[in-house]
Amino acid sequence: MPLPRLLPPPVLLAAALLGGCATSEGVRNPSGVPVTELRPDERGFVAGTGIEAQDMVAVTDRMARSILGIPQIARAANPPSVVLEPVVNNTRFPVNKDIFLTRLRTQLNSKAAGRVSFLDRDLMKTLQRERELKRSGQVTASADPNVVEFGGADYFLTGKLDGMSTRTAAGTSDYVLYSFRLTDARTSRIVWEDSAEIKKQGLEDAAYR
Amino acid sequence: MRLTARPRGLRRAAGRSLQLLALLGAAGLTGCATAPDEPRAAVRGEPAGPERDRVLHACRAAATALRTGDYAGAKVRLDDALARLGGLIVDDAAAARARSLFAAEDTKVFLGEPYERVMAYLYRGILYWRDGEPDNARACFRSGQFNDAGAREERYSSDYVLLEYLEGLATAKLQGDGADALARARALAGERFRLPDYATGANVLIFAEYGYGPRKVAAGPYGEQLRFQVQDSPSRSARLVLQEGRMVVPLPAYDDLGFQATTRGGRVMDHILGRKAVFKAATDAAADVALAGSVIAADQAHRRDHRGKDGGGAEAAAVGLGVLGVLGKVVSAATRPEADTRQWDNLPQRLSFAAVRLPPGEHAGRLEFLDREGRVLTARTRSVSLHVAPGDRDTVLFFSELPR
Repeated sequence: MPLPRLLPPPVLLAAALLGGCATSEGVRNPSGVPVTELRPDERGFVAGTGIEAQDMVAVTDRMARSILGIPQIARAANPPSVVLEPVVNNTRFPVNKDIFLTRLRTQLNSKAAGRVSFLDRDLMKTLQRERELKRSGQVTASADPNVVEFGGADYFLTGKLDGMSTRTAAGTSDYVLYSFRLTDARTSRIVWEDSAEIKKQGLEDAAYR
Repeated sequence: MRLTARPRGLRRAAGRSLQLLALLGAAGLTGCATAPDEPRAAVRGEPAGPERDRVLHACRAAATALRTGDYAGAKVRLDDALARLGGLIVDDAAAARARSLFAAEDTKVFLGEPYERVMAYLYRGILYWRDGEPDNARACFRSGQFNDAGAREERYSSDYVLLEYLEGLATAKLQGDGADALARARALAGERFRLPDYATGANVLIFAEYGYGPRKVAAGPYGEQLRFQVQDSPSRSARLVLQEGRMVVPLPAYDDLGFQATTRGGRVMDHILGRKAVFKAATDAAADVALAGSVIAADQAHRRDHRGKDGGGAEAAAVGLGVLGVLGKVVSAATRPEADTRQWDNLPQRLSFAAVRLPPGEHAGRLEFLDREGRVLTARTRSVSLHVAPGDRDTVLFFSELPR
């Protein structure tokens, strides 16, 4: 049997098999992916089933539109004063809760055109100290510092995030209910409430299951 | 040119060369294809490595930071780790490579086994609570429990007593109803110990951990089986002694990470590694047969050559089988079925917790560890000083028997 006819198939097989080991063929993005700028409401390629930026943007946009439509805001003779209370997180996802209220406030302030005002209770300690300095004459005052001018709240705006999670061999599923409400500070009545819900599911690579 | 047309001397030399090639292939490459007989464990304190190990290094550093009181550093590292642990990795090149025949499992991004992920969430939850965010702490405890879901046996799924208990306590602290979580925690604890009712008036939360956690080892003929070694710590429980012995806070072991690591059942990846091992063994065996055939054929060719007969066919067969044998050995040696034994190696074995009410201010005391019979392990006793903050926020204390 001629040798040249016998050798090529195994050699070719070896070349084919071992060639695959040595190259990056089949590896996606071997050189990485350049930084991409996304809209905040756009889903990126880094994703999970948890609370993400696009969810926060969609939810706060919707809530801001909803609040501006209620008569207590839209037809108020004087702009009502609103105090933001921290959102309660009742999901399985640790989140920066302040970001919801911060975005909601900025959306309302930019779209409400003065129909609603917010009281900065986060700065209360600083404001009180400044007032005391004015009262004691240590700093100048443009108005009588003994007159109480700190605004009282007409409404409290707060929210809650509730979640339900499932994990099986078929994948992971997370449902999050975002609910916000506006409560009358005088009567304790809830004058507005709205919610948004987002459900996500996925199945991770078998290498991690 | 046909082999039969070669001069006799040349044919002899070719025959010897074939025998030598076959023997070398059989002897040398067999070694490449076999795996160590003993299980191998990863070493403690590995240096910082590639990007795929980022979560691993962040977790180790976070545990060290937590034990040395660098809470800000621990938070940064845990947030970095949880940003990855919280996502779903799909369509990932490194994961695909890890599943392939010719790459080891540890080429994938390290996300850890469930007990490791649980600990990242538990530690972050403790830090959230320390920062006055019990709802985010509760979210971490829930995520921890969630990461323990999907064990092969349902009774071992999401079975951390402490996480369930803390979820309920956080809910109760937030004016919610923690009764369901407490009931679940008690069901998980069973007869082992009685979990105390929630003391919502407690202003000091004490987290304690003791013993060294489980160690990952690669077992099986090719190291394809992920196993856990648990070296039982002599510290079976602990207690905090305050006010010169007038106040003793028991810190029983609510959870045991060794138990958690060994009761998960198999992983999907174990099946993949098992198939890789079968392939490795099969190609190795086939290569052995081919090389043995090559040696026999070469010998046959040599004998025929001695008798003055044409041994060209046998020589060709010897060459072909030799090449196939070598190829098989190379492919077998290149197959990587080893289980991933990268591990968060500074985890504790036992987790404990207590909630008490203490007046604001400084408190001195000692932390004692007890053996199986409840005797104090005096060499392990250490003095502690606590600062209980005034106000509504809970004071969260963290004690670890582990130095770093």
